[in-house]
Amino acid sequence: MLVDFELIKRAQKGDSAAFNEIVLVYRKRILGKIARLIARPEDVEDVAQEVFLRLYFSLDQLRTPEVFEPWLYRLTVNAAYDHLRKQRRRQEFRISDLSEQQVMMADAAAGGKVEREEQHQKKIREFVDSLLSGVSESDRVLLMMKEVEGLSLKELEKVYDVNENALKVRLFRARQRVLKAFGSAER
Amino acid sequence: MSPMRGSPEERLDALFQAYREACPDPDPSPNFMPHLWQRIEARQTFTFSLRRMTSGFVTAALAFSVALGVYMAIPHKSQGYSTQSYIEALADAQPLDTPDIVGTVSLDLNDPGK
Repeated sequence: MLVDFELIKRAQKGDSAAFNEIVLVYRKRILGKIARLIARPEDVEDVAQEVFLRLYFSLDQLRTPEVFEPWLYRLTVNAAYDHLRKQRRRQEFRISDLSEQQVMMADAAAGGKVEREEQHQKKIREFVDSLLSGVSESDRVLLMMKEVEGLSLKELEKVYDVNENALKVRLFRARQRVLKAFGSAER
Repeated sequence: MSPMRGSPEERLDALFQAYREACPDPDPSPNFMPHLWQRIEARQTFTFSLRRMTSGFVTAALAFSVALGVYMAIPHKSQGYSTQSYIEALADAQPLDTPDIVGTVSLDLNDPGK
């Protein structure tokens, strides 16, 4: 835990300064998780604010401060999942909105600005993103929490509030699908 | 992009690891906290207005129910409403001493026009 229970209890009682402190402590970590979950840098802050907004209005429902972190991760997972669902609906429009000339100009600008290392990282992000497009949004989030964020099954059990076996089955199936797409992409 | 050695499982793990490194925790913008508090206040204002509207509506509904209850409890003098039964009303409308429809029929057989 990055904050002590007393601070959480104070925030639960409506202490704005205590809540502010919690946000300051966790925001970078939450921003990082969201950045990896949704893979859209321009939307990361918006989704992170949504997480803390939900936290602010649901903090009084938290029974014990000990489960604060899994609770916060659950809010993060849900907000990321909601965003991915909305994004999938918008996806068709995004590309068709740009003219061919606009796309070429954007590509040229990117080529001039982004350094080699950044381009390499961008390629990795895009590649993983394309691999994960074959699984549902909820499986994508679950897989990322396990494989990229490194949460254990025990921790995921608390976040998702389902038993370990059900999680194992879902993870196995999602991973198999990604593995298959990975094999095809490598060929 | 992906390591060429190892089993596909290992290569996928390495790819996820590379992805983790390619996406470091971003720094929040200076506007992060002000925007967050703006959103919290906007939501609070909306919730407060909704609660006030709901409470106003409940009060109005309660007042209307009480008024309706009082109105129904007061006995009213009936106007234009008969306490008679249907038969009694019919008897009053067509008294037996002037029965037009049951009068004797006179038939004059000598008049061919009739």
